[in-house]
Amino acid sequence: MIRFEKVTKSFGPQRVLDRVDVEINKGETFVIVGSSGMGKSVTLKHMIRLLTPDEGRIFVENDCISEANERDMVRIRDRFGVLFQNAALLAWLSVFENVALPLRERTAMTEEEIEVRVAECLDLVGLSAAGPKYPDEISGGMRKRAGLARAIVMKPEIILYDEPTSGLDPVISRSIDRLIDDMRVKLGVTSVVVTHDLHSALGIATRIAMIAGGHFVEISPPADFIRSSHPEVQEFLEAQYITRRGSWES
Amino acid sequence: MRTVLREPAYAPPPETFIQGLGRGALDLLFEIGQATLLMAAGIAAMRYLVVRRSRDSAVRQLYITGVKSLPVVTVVAGFTGMILALQTGLELRKFSQEVNIGTAVMVSMLREMGPFMTGLILAASVGSSMGAQIGTMTISEEIAALEVMSIDPVRFLVMPRLVALAIMTPLLSFYSTVMGVLGGGLVGATQLGVSWTAYLDNATKYADNKDLYVGMLKALCFGLIIATIACHQGFATTKGAVGVGNATRMTVIVSFLVILIVGYFITRLFYV
Repeated sequence: MIRFEKVTKSFGPQRVLDRVDVEINKGETFVIVGSSGMGKSVTLKHMIRLLTPDEGRIFVENDCISEANERDMVRIRDRFGVLFQNAALLAWLSVFENVALPLRERTAMTEEEIEVRVAECLDLVGLSAAGPKYPDEISGGMRKRAGLARAIVMKPEIILYDEPTSGLDPVISRSIDRLIDDMRVKLGVTSVVVTHDLHSALGIATRIAMIAGGHFVEISPPADFIRSSHPEVQEFLEAQYITRRGSWES
Repeated sequence: MRTVLREPAYAPPPETFIQGLGRGALDLLFEIGQATLLMAAGIAAMRYLVVRRSRDSAVRQLYITGVKSLPVVTVVAGFTGMILALQTGLELRKFSQEVNIGTAVMVSMLREMGPFMTGLILAASVGSSMGAQIGTMTISEEIAALEVMSIDPVRFLVMPRLVALAIMTPLLSFYSTVMGVLGGGLVGATQLGVSWTAYLDNATKYADNKDLYVGMLKALCFGLIIATIACHQGFATTKGAVGVGNATRMTVIVSFLVILIVGYFITRLFYV
């Protein structure tokens, strides 16, 4: 579904991605983990061309997004929904208006049709009652849910999540995890999640990819990931108190 | 759809003073080019005013720009007219020519002070607020979200602001001229012994239609300049809260400078 071919990206002297090759399959939940500054969000931003590679190419099925013209970009980006780290809701619009925004700006749907679709999405993320509220009147977890409702309102095939559980307490984090899993099960979407919350990754991923030093050092299903002998993976697991057996250390 | 977000640019520090100067000049030209393209895209996007939602957005900006700026424009313009009348009146009184303060106030307000003061007030109040708002949206990824949703930020954010300032700056400039002339008349009547009738006769006698048109043209240019610089600085914001502060500051400084430079050239074009 999404394929990186020898993608290289540098910011000044710092090479963040170094000839990265990776393929994300249709229908899977692909979770990218790694320490801060290792290039997780940079990888995600390349998928929707908020960043362009210095070298290499990125394909979304047969479309090369890294070299697409403006018109093709619109068509390719329409396949994506994105939940940004801080939800990126427009502060002067209510939750309902934020979710309705892409429908109002991009489709010819009537106001009645929009109301029905927005209500469906808000219901799916458990925010039916929060429609009239403004982003600064709701909690961080609710903002993420509203951001997710906006991400799915155009019925995308792929949803990208940038740190969906950062800044949230463990209970809310797990509820966001369940939502991500629901999106895969109920909507059949392909998900790419960037996180450094390994508990979350182990719960939702079909495959986990660990990025370090500009490369993916490990890409495997959760059960294999926690058994990885790669020192970077081991260090990351130990830092979050996760053993090879998958149980919690006291 | 025009991409307004930029990837972070990195360049090694210049090795010599001349190299630094050259890079500074190239950066300046690049920014002027980017801002000009943004203005052109915003003007081209005005065709979307036929869509009700875009029109509503422009009306909201008209309210923010016009109605909310009215009190400060009233006070500043009124007192400017009063100061102009007092300063020129005291000098003219030495030659018993104080009745001519009407012409002095009217011509200076129409040609220069009206558009210039309105431009500065709007740059400091409305422009800075636009720069800060768009800068905050940039660093909180709201602009990125719009681009990913293929909602054109130029049509959605820049165009309504351009329309609002292009309409409101000339209107407020005319209003500030009227307020300035009234302020001058008040000083004439109370401090210099010039009756309202004599003052207004004198003020309208030598004022030319050309003064009005050129003043309005200046105000229109200033409005477009302020909106463009505010949006351009906002979209170029990086580095969090400090970056938003910088974008706000730069919006005001650059707008002031460009207003002064453009004002001079328009005057030169029409009066020399």
